[in-house]
Order: sequence, then structure tokens, then C-alpha cells
Amino acid sequence: MKRRTVMALLAALALGGGAALRRALAALGQQAPEPTMAAIADTLFPGGDGLPGASALKLHERVLAVSDLQDSIGKGIAWLDKYAASRGVDAFVALDEAGRLAAIDAAFASTDDGIRPFVFALRQYLGLAYYADPAIKKAFAYTGPPQPDGFADFQERPS
Amino acid sequence: MSDEAKWDVVVVGAGAGGAAAAYGLCRRGLSVLLLDAGPHFDPATDYPLTESDWETRGFPEKAGSKGKVTFAPGQKLTGQEPLLASGSRGLGPLVTNGVRFMDRYEHVRGIGGSTLHFTGEAHRLHPAAMKMKSRFGVAADWPVEYAELERYYSEAEQLIGVAGPDSQGARWRSQKFPLPQHPLSYAAQTLGKGAKALGLDWQANSRAALSQPWNGRPPCNYCGACNNGCPRADKGSADVTFIQAALATGRCTIRSDSPAIRIEANRDRVIAVLVGRADGSIERIACPNLVLACGAVETPRLLLASDGLGNESGQVGQNFMDTLFITVGALHPEPQHGRRGLPNDAICWDFNAPDAIPGVIGGCRFYNGAGENELGGLAAFALRAIPGWGRAHAQSVRRQWGHALHIGAIGEKLPNRDSRIDLDPKERDRFGMPLARIASSLAEADIARLRFMAKKSHEVLAASGAERIYETYSSWDWFSATHVFGTCRMGSDPASSVVDPFGRSHRWRNLWIADASVFPSSGGGEAPALTIHALALRTAERIQKQ
Repeated sequence: MKRRTVMALLAALALGGGAALRRALAALGQQAPEPTMAAIADTLFPGGDGLPGASALKLHERVLAVSDLQDSIGKGIAWLDKYAASRGVDAFVALDEAGRLAAIDAAFASTDDGIRPFVFALRQYLGLAYYADPAIKKAFAYTGPPQPDGFADFQERPS
Repeated sequence: MSDEAKWDVVVVGAGAGGAAAAYGLCRRGLSVLLLDAGPHFDPATDYPLTESDWETRGFPEKAGSKGKVTFAPGQKLTGQEPLLASGSRGLGPLVTNGVRFMDRYEHVRGIGGSTLHFTGEAHRLHPAAMKMKSRFGVAADWPVEYAELERYYSEAEQLIGVAGPDSQGARWRSQKFPLPQHPLSYAAQTLGKGAKALGLDWQANSRAALSQPWNGRPPCNYCGACNNGCPRADKGSADVTFIQAALATGRCTIRSDSPAIRIEANRDRVIAVLVGRADGSIERIACPNLVLACGAVETPRLLLASDGLGNESGQVGQNFMDTLFITVGALHPEPQHGRRGLPNDAICWDFNAPDAIPGVIGGCRFYNGAGENELGGLAAFALRAIPGWGRAHAQSVRRQWGHALHIGAIGEKLPNRDSRIDLDPKERDRFGMPLARIASSLAEADIARLRFMAKKSHEVLAASGAERIYETYSSWDWFSATHVFGTCRMGSDPASSVVDPFGRSHRWRNLWIADASVFPSSGGGEAPALTIHALALRTAERIQKQ
């Protein structure tokens, strides 16, 4: 895939819309979405081995600000909360780590209208932001800026 | 409004063709106004490759740097093509509705045009690929021989500072490349071991990137980010080569942000070009000679929008050929970190001749695709190469980062009746000019060529030690064209071509075309910029002699 295609997805992380979502959810009687979105983000990109999870980087807040996702966020959280209820707990955030992972797995596998595109989009948005974050990149070799030094060792086996 | 010409020649489009034409005209003593619809780019400030978020920026977009096009409906995909279907293990299939995805025409509008973001391969066309009709019964013959183009190729290579190997087989040379070839990157060496195991010749690619200082420009430092724009100006994009040389003559005037929207003509000559201004007004510029170099999408658009100027043959916009490509990524047991080094630094020409692929006419070439595909950096790798999510995904990303190998292939795309550029009947730009509409269709021969390209790519990856394919993207189901050709074909017969063998309109005596729209055939996967330069230099010489 052309990198421009992939990176265009990241450009969609525009500001605006988070407040509207909170107002919409409040009108429906649901709780503010931040805790649930943080839990989803950490289930998808939990970090580990010394790396922070997605919520520690506040990436869930950036997702909540994507205006194009407002409608699907509300429906997606509702779907995950319904899944949690089917497992005997109040909401997605009340599941343990294994339970949350099972819920996300179920969402990716579901044919229910809208839930799979929702978690797929979250994987894209959160994943691009997570692995482009300097705090994550510094743990990986050869992720620094190309310039001004270039790669003097380009002919050699990677160090 | 003025009827008084201020320049000897007006050139529309400051990319590969327009820049070379302007240089060729200026160095022969003619004054030139070089127009482009897009902005200036400053390599020092517009390409922020020292920033930590470099990979999320890509090539910068500035106001006016992207033209708008529309697409005709995509081709219905028939049959199962598991080797060609686009998608990755991480992202899944690109196309799920059975229709070819008409996604994008990759280009840049600006001073330097698409060379600003090109990889910078510098290829001469295979001589046999210029005789597709007479030798193989397809497409059309070039009305110019390789032997005649050779000195223009050499002139362009000298000005750019092309680095290349001693020999490229059928592409005979009157002199060596001006600069020695670049060393191969580690990933290219790994692929080379596989290619050699299969008996293939894997050699250094000829590149418009400096292997030594040249004309005041520094050598490449192998950062791998050619497609993001080269801040060092070692990449031979038109803005730092032909345009600088044209400006040095003192006879070239450059005007950015100036889209040509209509051409006026009278009797047998064009007399003026109408150009849009930033404030929405329109300027009329008289032109004793007019050279169009807007590329194979925008040049036919401008002609068709000028009441079909130059379309006496009905061939303007026809014979559209786009990029027939495939790229395959795989994971290797050993780390490669292929973003180090020049993108496309190694190439295999073994199947480039028109009759080199068994059972299908039209050639192809293979190359190290790591650089072009790893510019997305860690994030793109994590999402494309590694499926899943959660802790298992994170651990795989840690374990596999840097292990990717990519091989790419580009092949001949033959013209067909269903591939063309015309004017969109509804969509218009801010000046009321209809947008270009792109229609593209693959014939069975194109798909057969793609199958061969895919199969051979898999073989090379396997022979290189790669163990698991994680992605394939191909033009079978994804229109994402960078190289486009053919929509103002050159030829000797006015009934079947738009311009004569020197790029001049058969009908309009001072109207010339100097871009890839004049290509009668696409070649067997060669990058077109160097051939565009050579043709434009030849056209410029002809204009001066006239």
C-alpha cells in the first residue's frame, strides 16, 4: 500500500466533535465515553515490556475528538456494553482484561451492522497514532527522522 | 488583455517535460514563460524530514498542489486472483465489492511537478518497446528511434547527474553514466541473493540521485525518503536541475499558481492561453509558440476544454495507459531495515523486453520495493504486517519490526478502447473548467502480465529466505497510478495521432506537446521521467530550428 494512503488515515485525527458526542450520550442517559474509550484503546494497544498503553498517551481522547466517528462511537460503546451485559457485568469497563479482549474479538468477528467497521476504524486510528508516538518509537530501532544524517550503515546488517 | 507576446514560447506545466523544454529553449536563446497550476516548493523548508513525525506527513500538500479528477466506474473483477488481490494480513482485503477501486492519480502540481515526489529512477526505454506495433502487433510504434533519442538521453543524464551501472543491456549508450552507481542497501543485497539463486540478473538501478557531488548539489545520504521530497536537493527533481539551468540563462520566467484554463486559436495557429489568477480573474497571455506539458491527464483535458483543439484525429484522451504494478511484502527471519538506503536501488531487467515474458506480449521489471513501502514507518508496519491487536500483537510488532522485504514490479500497460481521459460532464473547477475524468480497464493480456509479475515476485522473495507474505497490492483491483501515458499520441499519420514525431500538433503549427501523453506505448515498466526529458529536449531543439 502506498504510504500516502495509510498516512491519510492519520490526518483524519482532527479536532472537534468530542463535546457533541458527550452531549449526545448524556441525552441518551449514558455515561461519558472517556473511561470506555480508554479501556478499548488499552485493550487494542496495551503496551507492555516497559511501553505505555494507548490511554496513557491520551490517544482515546484524540479518537473522541474525531467528528466523523461520533455516531459510530456511541453505537460501538453500546454494542460492547451489551456484550458485557450478556456476560453478567454492567458495562465493558467492568470486564477484566481477558473479558475485554474477548469482547473486542467478538466485535471484530461480528456481523452486526456497524460494529466491525467501528473496531476496525479504531484499530487504524489508534494504531497509527500509537506507533507514531515518540514514546513508542524510541523503543524501536531505525525509527528516527531520515534527516539530517541519513543512514550511513545502509549497506550493512542492521545493528 | 494583451495581443503582444512577451515571450518566444509559453510552456504550460513545470514538471518533467515542461522544465526540460524550458531549459532546452532557453539555452538556445529563446525566452520562455513557464507556467504551472501549482505552487513553489522550497526543499529546505517544505520537506521536514528532521521532525519526529516525519512518517505521518508524507509529501506536503500546499494550496493548489493537488488537481482534482473524477473517475469512471471501476472495472468489474472477474475470477479469483489470489496472487493479485490487494490487501494485507493486518488490514485485510482492499476490495470486497468485486469492482476495481478507482482510488487516485498520484501527482503533484507545482514547480517541478511530480518529480518533486518521485522516487527518481532514471530509465531509458527498451529500444524494442518502441516498436510494439510493427514487431508485436499491439499498441503503436514510436515514430522516433532509440538511436535518435540517445543523445537527448545523454544530455538529460548529464544535467541531472544520473548514477548508474556500466551497462544496461539493450539500452546501449554513447557515454557512461555521469556518476558511478550507488551501492546496494542491505535489503537489496538480500533480495539479490534470491534473484541470483534463480539465475536472474540483479543490478544497481540507474537513479536520479547523486552518488557524488554534482553541479553544486551534495551526494545522497541514503535516508530513504525520496518520496517525501528531498531537502538536500541531491535527488534530481526538475526544480533543482532543469529549472535551475533554465533560470541561469536569464531567459526563463516562472509563474506558479497559474492554471491554464483555455487555449485560443485562429487559422492554423494558437494565439493565446487563458490563465487563472489567485483572485479568480483570468489573464490572457499571447503565445507565439505554446508547449503543453501538463501530463497525460491534464494535457488532454486542456485541449478538450478548448473546444477539442488538436483533436482532429479524435485521439485526444484516447489510448490512456496507466501504471501496471504489483508490490509484495514478506517477513524475513533476519532483520533487514529496508528503509535504509535509496528506494528502488536494485533492479532486474531480465523480463523487460516486449517478448521476454512467456506467453504474453509486453515486458516488466522487478525492483527492491523496501524504500517505497517502508516510508510509512513503524506505524504502517504494525498495522499492515502484523494482524490482530492486544498483547500478542504488541509482542509480534516488537519481534518482527525491521524484518520486512518488499519486491515490486511494473509492467507494460497496453492501450485499449475502455481506457481514456475525457471531460467530466458535471464537475468543474473554480474557473468553470470541466474536470478530467479517468477511465481505466485492464485487458486479459495485462492481467496475464500481472500474474507473471506476481509469481516471479513470490519466487524471488522465497529464494531470498522470506518466509511469510504479509501483503500484496496490485493494479488488478486498485487504480493508483503514478505513471500515465498515451493520451496525445505522437505519430506520422494525422489520422491516428495527435502530434507529429517532434511533438507538434498535426493541425496547429505552433502548438507542441512535451509530456508522457505523446508516448505511443508505455514501455516495459521503465520510469518515464528520463524519456519525457529526452523528448522535451528534442522538441525544444525543433522549435528553435523552426
